[in-house]
Amino acid sequence: MSRLTPEKPSRDQRLAVLVTLASLGFALVATGLLRLQLVENERYRRLAEENHVRREVRRAPRGVIRDRHGAVLADNQPSFNVVFRPFPAESSARLTTDRRWLEQVARLCGADTLAVQRAVRAAAATGQSATLRRNAPMDVVAAVEELRADLPGVEVVVEPLRRYPHGRLAAHLLGYAGEIGDEELARLADRGYRPGDLIGRSGVERAYEDVLRGDDGHEYVVVNAMGRRVAGASVVPPTDPVPGGDLVLTVDLRLQQALEDVMGDVERGAAVALDPHDGAILALVSRPSFDPNEFARGLSNERWRELARGGGDPLLNRAVQGVYPPGSTFKVATMLAALRARAARPGTRLQPCPGGYEFGGRYFRCWERRGHGSLDLIGALAHSCDVYFYQLGLRLGLPRLEATARALGLGERTGVDLPHEKKGLVPGAAWYDQRWGAGRWRKGLLLNLAIGQGELLVTPLQLALLAAEVANGGHAVRPHLVDPDPGGAPLARPVQPGLELSDADWGAVRTAMEKVVSEGTGGAARLAGLPVAGKTGTAQNPRGKDHALFLCYAPAARPQVALALVVENGGHGGSAAAPRAGRALHAYFVPDSAALAVAPPAWPADTTDVGD
Amino acid sequence: MWATSVLRARRWPELDLPLLLAALGLAALGLLMVFSATSTPGAAHQGFWVRQLVWLGVGLAAGTLAASLHYRAYDALAWVLYGISVVLLLAVLVAGSSAFGARRWLELGPLRFQPSELAKIATVMVLARRFDNRWLDLSQARHWAPAAAIVLVPTALVLRQPDLGTALCFPAILVAMYFWAGMPPQSLLLGLSPAANVALYFATGSPWWFLLVLVPLLVWARPRAATVTLVLALNLAVSVSLPHLWNSLHDYQKRRITTFLNPEQDPHGAGYQIIQSKIAIGSGGLKGKGFLKGTQKGLDFLPMRHTDFIFAVVGEELGLLGSLTAVLLYAVLVLRGFGIAAAAHNAFAGLLAVGVTTALFYHTIVNLLMTIGWAPVTGLPLPLLSYGGTALVANCIQVGLLQNVAFRRQER
Repeated sequence: MSRLTPEKPSRDQRLAVLVTLASLGFALVATGLLRLQLVENERYRRLAEENHVRREVRRAPRGVIRDRHGAVLADNQPSFNVVFRPFPAESSARLTTDRRWLEQVARLCGADTLAVQRAVRAAAATGQSATLRRNAPMDVVAAVEELRADLPGVEVVVEPLRRYPHGRLAAHLLGYAGEIGDEELARLADRGYRPGDLIGRSGVERAYEDVLRGDDGHEYVVVNAMGRRVAGASVVPPTDPVPGGDLVLTVDLRLQQALEDVMGDVERGAAVALDPHDGAILALVSRPSFDPNEFARGLSNERWRELARGGGDPLLNRAVQGVYPPGSTFKVATMLAALRARAARPGTRLQPCPGGYEFGGRYFRCWERRGHGSLDLIGALAHSCDVYFYQLGLRLGLPRLEATARALGLGERTGVDLPHEKKGLVPGAAWYDQRWGAGRWRKGLLLNLAIGQGELLVTPLQLALLAAEVANGGHAVRPHLVDPDPGGAPLARPVQPGLELSDADWGAVRTAMEKVVSEGTGGAARLAGLPVAGKTGTAQNPRGKDHALFLCYAPAARPQVALALVVENGGHGGSAAAPRAGRALHAYFVPDSAALAVAPPAWPADTTDVGD
Repeated sequence: MWATSVLRARRWPELDLPLLLAALGLAALGLLMVFSATSTPGAAHQGFWVRQLVWLGVGLAAGTLAASLHYRAYDALAWVLYGISVVLLLAVLVAGSSAFGARRWLELGPLRFQPSELAKIATVMVLARRFDNRWLDLSQARHWAPAAAIVLVPTALVLRQPDLGTALCFPAILVAMYFWAGMPPQSLLLGLSPAANVALYFATGSPWWFLLVLVPLLVWARPRAATVTLVLALNLAVSVSLPHLWNSLHDYQKRRITTFLNPEQDPHGAGYQIIQSKIAIGSGGLKGKGFLKGTQKGLDFLPMRHTDFIFAVVGEELGLLGSLTAVLLYAVLVLRGFGIAAAAHNAFAGLLAVGVTTALFYHTIVNLLMTIGWAPVTGLPLPLLSYGGTALVANCIQVGLLQNVAFRRQER
């Protein structure tokens, strides 16, 4: 067949090798059969008579979530669950029609008979155990143990229960974990999920599900005809549960607490604080809030409907999912665009503000009806003069304004590690062409855009990012809750390259923002000994009272915190948003004197009109 | 011209009787066991054995056809069949229907078809065709490497389904055919050493065990210096990179891999099946509980009792006597298969027989070891016994091919 090679075995030799190998394989099987059917026959015969091997899941706890200093934000506690175990199969099918048994179980679990019947029937059909009552109080546990003999199939098991020790604090940031649903179960079957597993549904719990989720262990136990465990008759060694991985968030519990406090009386709104150097999220608040512990303990259907559809939508994380017109906070972006395009210098004076501006046959008012008079660019931002920014918008033109807004990360997802982030909207020429038809829109809308009104939409997180990037000199950082590479280079944002401006121009913007607080519309955020730089905004809201906005960073000289705050229907940024930011920063930077008189000095200019 | 069909032969061809009887015996046992496994009192599973009977009829026809065409036809058609099976395997990945998280079947009207069965036979034919070469020298890369590539394609496609158990059948065929085609056993073992290395790493958790295997192997084989270097470098690369590769994975990624390698942890509770299978077999004892008298009745207790775990029913109802008889029949099948290969005067025919027999042996041994709990649950059916149309027909064709070689053994 082929060339002569000294090593090549003859055909008979090759046949002998194959026959030997195959025979060895069959001998191995025969040995296994001899062992099972003769040596261990007695043991297996006994097991078969009972035929009651049951698989019991040993639940693995989810990973613990901590803040940057190690304070626990989410952990686990043992909970007593009343479960039904459908074993042996024949007798559990009978139980579903046994009224006495059903009623007794229903009474113990505080559920109605029909619900118990449904759960038990499903369990008997699938062979999986059903949880009848989660986190049962001690008296129920004692009663179940006492009635064991009368209640075949019903048992108390100890399983880890998710616990959020701070309750509503940071609820949107942490999210919650709930019992997996049938649909998810079908979709994720190959990932090893089983009925009764917890799965992260929102926030960090969802975004880091793969890390936090543990690996359940299991044990095969032999049970008797009553479904009770027979001691010492294990068939295979049990596998231990592997707890999920722990997470350390960038969150600072103290700042989170401070933000929660100042947002305490806000009905709807959001606040985000970032570390301007790398975009790490220090605190994130959304209102209204919810208590994730409720989800861990299991929600009734009514309570779920109430949370999901009731007023205010408490499950919505407004910090990343709420979009708002930025109002005058956007003037920071307009100023950056003007400096970048050299459409104005910090000292450039435009036509004085008489309280309004005539353009294209329309009269665009300044919020200050008495007029600001002649201002340079820095003064115009400090006093938020609309007329100055109308003119700046016209000098810039739409493309350059849009380009800078996008370079600052507006109109795109920031890439934050939280689910369902919204993009917001930065309209450009293409967008208007599509909306109104090519060329069928007027230049007048540029005036509105320049002062942050019109179609612009931003998330509170994007506003915080805008403050952070002014503070860090235009580095496009990506907001994040978990740093995958601590000590490494800051994470870059997915889309934008950042903004390049001369130091002098950055200095001008920072000076202007400091002046907003020291002598302009943001005076309410002024703090003794802590220079703050910021910008107020009041966004027109066609459906109700205006939204109040404020973005800032502090301390102004060496920024450590960039903060944005939105109070829906709060009215004016200078009066509803800025003072809250000031109080939060004060509580954080001057922790021992939280009771400092927060009454701000009388801030200049009345803010009785839109667009402060 | 190669239509020297049995139909035109004047006398009944000299079939290999032990092989034929073993195969028919196993198929008959399969029918009985499928009947028993699916007949719980009052349950509506009676259709299975009838369908299996119909498939057996189809299989006998297909096997007869496979035996009557001259094997030179397979030599000529090898690449065509191989091409078709690769296309079908691709089609499975794109449009296949799935069960238990893997895509394995193609739906053709009311029929479900598993292309990996065709791929196995076609791959054997292509390899036999390539190795049927007077100047073949498998110690040279230009001779063995193309064959490895031929095998890699269906292996990778089946692995993507994902079906590790079936995928590994292809390399098993390759190794046996390399050996039969004259690759020096030393080279074969050296070539297999990185694979053994990976297996040892997963078995022991340490990358250095391979030295215990490799050093004696090198001392015995005494290959050229270049080969020594290459083999050492390959093994070293595996040993060094594997732990790093493994440790650089996230826990959940590791979990996916271990679930893939060890489906006992899968959500359908394969570990539970193993235990039930062991209880069923072990409780059968010497004589078994008698046909239809197994107490582990009911599909709830042992899923796939009529398919992958059919041997558990044999063990329970027919006892050690029955299970050893079945094992004996398989041994006859496989040993006769190799015997037929050795008796063939034609190189292609011999290689064809070795490849086909290896595929049968691989399926049999992996399934049996799984059933007695000595191998991971891989979802391989037991040849001729398990319920399932494509596999049964494919097994009949394989037996037909062996008969084909058997009664034409004198031809060159």
